[in-house]
Amino acid sequence: MNEDREGAGGIEYVVGAEKRLCEILGDEEIMPILRSALRAGVSRIEVRDSKGRVLWACGDPTGGGGRAREVAPLCLEGEPAGSIMVEIPSSGRLRLRDFTGLLSEVMNTMITNNLKRMLTAEIHTTVVDQTHEELIETNRRLRASESRYRELAESLDRKVQERTEELKRIHTRLIQQEKAASIGLLAAGVAHEINTPLGFISSNLNTLKRYMSRFTEMLDFYRRIVGEAGDGVAEEAAKKWSDLKLGFVVRDVGELISQSLDGAERVRRIVADLKGFSHVDDSKEDVVDLNTEIERTFSVLAHEIPEDAEIERDYGSLPGFLCDPALVCQVFLNIILNSLQAKKGGLKLHVSTRFAGGDITVAFTDNGPGIPDDIRGRIFEPFFTTKDVGEGTGLGLTVTRDIVTAYGGDIEVESRPGAGTTFLVRLPAEGGRDVEVR
Amino acid sequence: MIEFDREEKRMVLKLVFYGPALSGKTTNLLRLHDLLAREGRGELMVLDTRDDRTIFFDLLPFFLVTPGGLKIKLKVYTVPGQVKHDATRKAVLQRADGVAFIADSRLSETANNYSSFENLEKNLAFVGIDIETVPLVIQFNKRDLSEIVPETDIERLWRPTGIPVFMASALQGWGVVETFGRLVELTYDAVDRKWGLREGYGLEREEFVRRLTLREQGR
Repeated sequence: MNEDREGAGGIEYVVGAEKRLCEILGDEEIMPILRSALRAGVSRIEVRDSKGRVLWACGDPTGGGGRAREVAPLCLEGEPAGSIMVEIPSSGRLRLRDFTGLLSEVMNTMITNNLKRMLTAEIHTTVVDQTHEELIETNRRLRASESRYRELAESLDRKVQERTEELKRIHTRLIQQEKAASIGLLAAGVAHEINTPLGFISSNLNTLKRYMSRFTEMLDFYRRIVGEAGDGVAEEAAKKWSDLKLGFVVRDVGELISQSLDGAERVRRIVADLKGFSHVDDSKEDVVDLNTEIERTFSVLAHEIPEDAEIERDYGSLPGFLCDPALVCQVFLNIILNSLQAKKGGLKLHVSTRFAGGDITVAFTDNGPGIPDDIRGRIFEPFFTTKDVGEGTGLGLTVTRDIVTAYGGDIEVESRPGAGTTFLVRLPAEGGRDVEVR
Repeated sequence: MIEFDREEKRMVLKLVFYGPALSGKTTNLLRLHDLLAREGRGELMVLDTRDDRTIFFDLLPFFLVTPGGLKIKLKVYTVPGQVKHDATRKAVLQRADGVAFIADSRLSETANNYSSFENLEKNLAFVGIDIETVPLVIQFNKRDLSEIVPETDIERLWRPTGIPVFMASALQGWGVVETFGRLVELTYDAVDRKWGLREGYGLEREEFVRRLTLREQGR
């Protein structure tokens, strides 16, 4: 600050600069004294400065002879600053020396007192000025710091908001993961429970199939023997055979068992898919083929996909991708669900996968109504949904984007109202490994 | 230096008695006024006080004419010691030629001495005076009291700084002229270096100090 002041150059607070006698004494206080000296019998009285110049005078200057004269010094801070000269008529009754002494005493006291008053005023003014300047400076600094704090407060507000949003996102993702995990656990439990009975159902059905062929063989054998018997036995047996429609039964029983076995096999596949999708058995990261994961997702969604929907697959050859398969399945699931919900009838969904330039791209293109311009920017926002309350959480695409981002990739949406929507997921084949997903 | 007029052969020097509140700065000036000869010094000017505490400053002027005809006026100021009068201290300190720091020897005042000295350093810097080069002496006042900092401690603390330190009792009148005399010596050296008092105006250091510390007869 000192340098500022020195640099500014002009500000000086010097108290007690030298003053001259005429600056300290004034006409209005000197002249009455001089005049009353005259009345007391003085002929001539003069106040002179240190160089002998007359500053104030009273009385007849052309005294000439017949006068007595006395001079006494006037001091300013110990320095001779002038003098007082008194002339009286030789015949006067005044004691010149005493009178002059008295006058000089009066004036010296007056000088001292005036100087004191002036110094007081000077220091007071100086201090007030300086204090004022310092206050202005302080005020300026306070303003500066205030605006700095205001800025800080504002940016803090913004940061808090950003952080809150981020926390909200993480929170919703956690909820989603939690949900996925519990669904997974449930699925795992159900799958396990189903697998055991399913196992003996399949096994028993196979055994039953074998047994049935033996029954059938034995029946044929009996029929042949009985068919050759007499006494109406053969006719009776043939009628019974016909009444019981055993010809049809024998033909149908194999079919029934085959169908049941098919059904059991389908149940087995569904359970396997469910387990695979929830990845309850391998929730750790793994190198997977994304094409397989997409197929797995489709099979989980099989019951959701209307019969008239056309799914076109255009799978390129992809390198293995290190990820948590449950998470990438969720990405595909959310995008596919989005298309399914957007177009209720006559959906055409084109899925293509490619590997180029180190990136795996997966594109889902539907022939749905597209996304209106005004909401396209918001579809990834948490809790943003166009569905009715209770139908959608508004989290699907948010989670999708978060997962893709976590793997170092990105997701783009191209859409024109009435002309369908394309979700383009880009994942770096090698990237994202160091990114913590959960 | 407040003024130096070569034409008029007139120089005005300024010494400042600095220090914490109630350390005896005004008493120092009162004693100098009492002890030093009337010749060549003016009256002590004590500006208005409040409760006997300095609120502006006190001023004791000296005047002498060198053999070479140079008129020198030396003005000795005190500053108010109370913390709140910092603006006044800055104003008085402006363009000082020398500083006497009057410390209070009482043990209870150690912290106040310390912060006042810090304040001196800060304010010297503020008015653009280099504390390393400005003539500076320190007086430990009130040596007549008990419960005071031992002289050996003071010695040990201040000797390394090279700043002259004096023990005094302004109340009893001893150590005061010595403190002032040393400050005058140092001030002479500084002014002589800059303006050539000896060569230009025939003023010897001893003479300068003698004239300013001439004691009143019988004191």
